[in-house]
Amino acid sequence: MEKQLKVGEGFKIIGFVLIAFGLFTVLTGLLTGDHVRTWANLLLNNYYFMSVTIGATFWLAMQAITQSGWSAAYVRIPQAMSNYLIVSFILWAFMFFGLHDLYHWTHHDAVMHDPILLHKEPYLNIPFFTIRYVLFFALWIFLTQRIKKLSLEEDKIGGLTNFNKIEFTSKVYIFVLAITFSLFSIDWLMSLDPHWYSTIYAVKKFVMAFYHGIVVITAIAIILNKLGYLTILTKTHMGDFARYIFALSIIWGYIWLSQYILIWYANIPEETVYYVPRIMEEYKTYFYLELIVNWAFPFLFLMWNRVAKNAWALLFVAVVLMAGQWIELYMSIMPDTADTHNITYIEVGTFLGYFALFAMVIAWSLARIPLVAKNHPYLIESIEHH
Amino acid sequence: MNNTNIIGVYEDEDVLLKAIDKLQENHIKIADVYSPIPIHGVFEKLKLTTRLPYATFIYGAIGTISVFAFLYWTSVVSYPLKFGGKPLNTLSFIIIMFVLTIFVGTLFTFLTYFIREKMYPGKKVTLPVPRTTNDQFAILIEKDQNMSDLEVKKLNELLKKTGAVEIKESE
Repeated sequence: MEKQLKVGEGFKIIGFVLIAFGLFTVLTGLLTGDHVRTWANLLLNNYYFMSVTIGATFWLAMQAITQSGWSAAYVRIPQAMSNYLIVSFILWAFMFFGLHDLYHWTHHDAVMHDPILLHKEPYLNIPFFTIRYVLFFALWIFLTQRIKKLSLEEDKIGGLTNFNKIEFTSKVYIFVLAITFSLFSIDWLMSLDPHWYSTIYAVKKFVMAFYHGIVVITAIAIILNKLGYLTILTKTHMGDFARYIFALSIIWGYIWLSQYILIWYANIPEETVYYVPRIMEEYKTYFYLELIVNWAFPFLFLMWNRVAKNAWALLFVAVVLMAGQWIELYMSIMPDTADTHNITYIEVGTFLGYFALFAMVIAWSLARIPLVAKNHPYLIESIEHH
Repeated sequence: MNNTNIIGVYEDEDVLLKAIDKLQENHIKIADVYSPIPIHGVFEKLKLTTRLPYATFIYGAIGTISVFAFLYWTSVVSYPLKFGGKPLNTLSFIIIMFVLTIFVGTLFTFLTYFIREKMYPGKKVTLPVPRTTNDQFAILIEKDQNMSDLEVKKLNELLKKTGAVEIKESE
């Protein structure tokens, strides 16, 4: 029915060149003395693509527990993306060499003389930190791979057994994500400034992941369609994807405001310390750019129905929003670590390297499985969706 | 004026959608479709256009601007009162602006819709098929004055073939 995806030679060459370029920039960054900056960039990109994958697989789980019909033809895209979690697990492991450069709380002397850090020490210490990292990734990889395996088995045997099993696994996965992804964001991003805390931080990062996960799924679906695969993509499907992006742009803006306005209004120094460098000094441009790109632009642009159903317009939105997520993570990480506010070859090179790796992992994973889950009970409803 | 309509009544939305396609293939102009639930696709199939969303956008924008103007005038121009060390032109405006944008947008859209559709509280129902508010769907075709009996008969047959459970004529 749908033909098998083939990874082109040109794509592979460009991918390897970009990965080599990324590796080169990272090595140059580390060797020329820009330690902190390079590690910060590695953290940013690790988190970026990991969260996109988590968001996409969360969407997959959502479709399963709500038994959504329209999306049944697209479940293979997030399923293929879930393979990136394994790659991401390996890439995160390298981050442990840079812990001292990034995280203040890893310095034993500093903790001993700081009552607040001493108080947080039972949670924020390297052994427990490592255990959490391994445990969380193990859970994510196990559950997402299980969903994928069940779905592939469904292709062979059909019936409702696997469908029900996927639904159950998805429930478990969503429950697990609620706890693990929140703690993971707190561990790796919020603890960059261990004195500061915000109770909505993890929610914001989760909404970001979900939001941009959908954006990437939409982009992949449209690109596959333009390349001649996945011919079932119609305007109504694109309209539904656009609705997802539109709704999540509002939720993202809402969570952003919930964090910002409470801190601004309460005006307690230990909380406002987070926003002082971000809004008053050199990061001002990024601060407003983050809001415009991630909220105002998709909100106003996708409001127009004709735009929301146009493939090229949606692809444009996807590109802009991928930049938007980068800006958001840049704003979360840089002011607390490298404290640089310009974009140089390190930022560009690292991102391109990771992006190429991410794209190649997805392309290879998609090429190994059928593009459409042919025995999905809702597939016909999805194709006939109007 | 003689304004009779031919009405085909359906009991399933998928049958209705296929019937619309079939009728349009035969170049029959459908005047209106009645349905108890919103069906995706009917709007596009009938090539209807509406300016209501644009009106909503304008009302929303007017709501935002006027609420901001009001808040600005009261707390900055007319009665500037500092409290809690906050600036006069404060961020907390946003919450009220957000809520009232939705309120103004919704309320005026409803009003516009009611005026355009000449609806008012207590108006008598003028549905051709009363059960379209419950479990039936109806396609309404305007009967041309110079339509011959044969044409009408053909149309009736076509409606029956597309799965209409009932065909009737009414004003």
